Amino acid sequence: MNIKQESFGNTVILSLNGRLDTLNFALLENELTSLTEKNQKNIILDCQDLDYISSSGLRILLKALKQVNVVQGRFTICNLQPQIIQIFKISGFERLFELYPSLNEAIASFQ
Amino acid sequence: MALYIHHKDPASKDLEKILKKIPPCPGTCIFIDLVESTGIKYKKGIAHWGKLINNTFNFISLLNDFPDNIVKGIGDELMIYIPDDILAKKETFTNHYSIIEELHATLDNIKNFPVKNLFMNCKVSLHYCTDVYNITYLRNYNDYYGKDIDLTARLMSKSGRNRIVFSEVFYLKVKEDLQKLNIPEELTCMNKISDIFTDNFKGIPYPVIYRIIDI
Repeated sequence: MNIKQESFGNTVILSLNGRLDTLNFALLENELTSLTEKNQKNIILDCQDLDYISSSGLRILLKALKQVNVVQGRFTICNLQPQIIQIFKISGFERLFELYPSLNEAIASFQ
Repeated sequence: MALYIHHKDPASKDLEKILKKIPPCPGTCIFIDLVESTGIKYKKGIAHWGKLINNTFNFISLLNDFPDNIVKGIGDELMIYIPDDILAKKETFTNHYSIIEELHATLDNIKNFPVKNLFMNCKVSLHYCTDVYNITYLRNYNDYYGKDIDLTARLMSKSGRNRIVFSEVFYLKVKEDLQKLNIPEELTCMNKISDIFTDNFKGIPYPVIYRIIDI
């Protein structure tokens, strides 16, 4: 999995590419922890090129949501592929996160 | 599919011959139990209990990835057996490390899920088995017998809410995987691993070394 980071105003966008599972969840965990430790409040996770997420990936998302809530920020997710939306529905994660169908809509929600 | 064995003659010579020739089927045995399930059933009613079981089993991704390897349910406990050759063919669960990491993540997600009363807490026992045989005494049924299956079941007696108990044998398999993958143990759920425990279990003719991860 590759992670690309860019900023848009006071919002950081992390774009994921590939599979998020036991082999690489620590990469995303480090990125997100580093951002929240720097008191970054607004984070968008762009999942357009994310093909798969396992329970270890979901765990990192839940952890990030908690960390961002502590600093009263917002952690949003966009561009989920249908197979990942299905995983979010089954696991109940759909109800926990702010989800947007596109990156533009996610960015607009911060303005 | 399991080798079906059923001889009605208890003194059958053929039966002995067959049993001696059966090859072992090495793999990982997993028991997953829902904690306080019976109490919830009686306190909150069947509908609520059934909903929690449904949610919890859906949430355990291992069960969705290995539907053909769920050997049996015993009350609220499930036995899963994953032979090595099947594990090697999977995309997510490709090794022993991934099994425990994903189970750890699942139990952690259940424990920390922000919406309450959706899931039941789980306890898990794991062992890497070599003394195990893919045989059945019931026609068209898949099952596994052997001392190592018994050992995995016994390990469950040391588990508890949000706890994974696993044999040292399984841990050595995980260590081997992490070395191959070049992933430091401290970046995985192994950073929560306990020291060694040793116990004698009924029916197991040697002391068993095991470890614990509490979530």
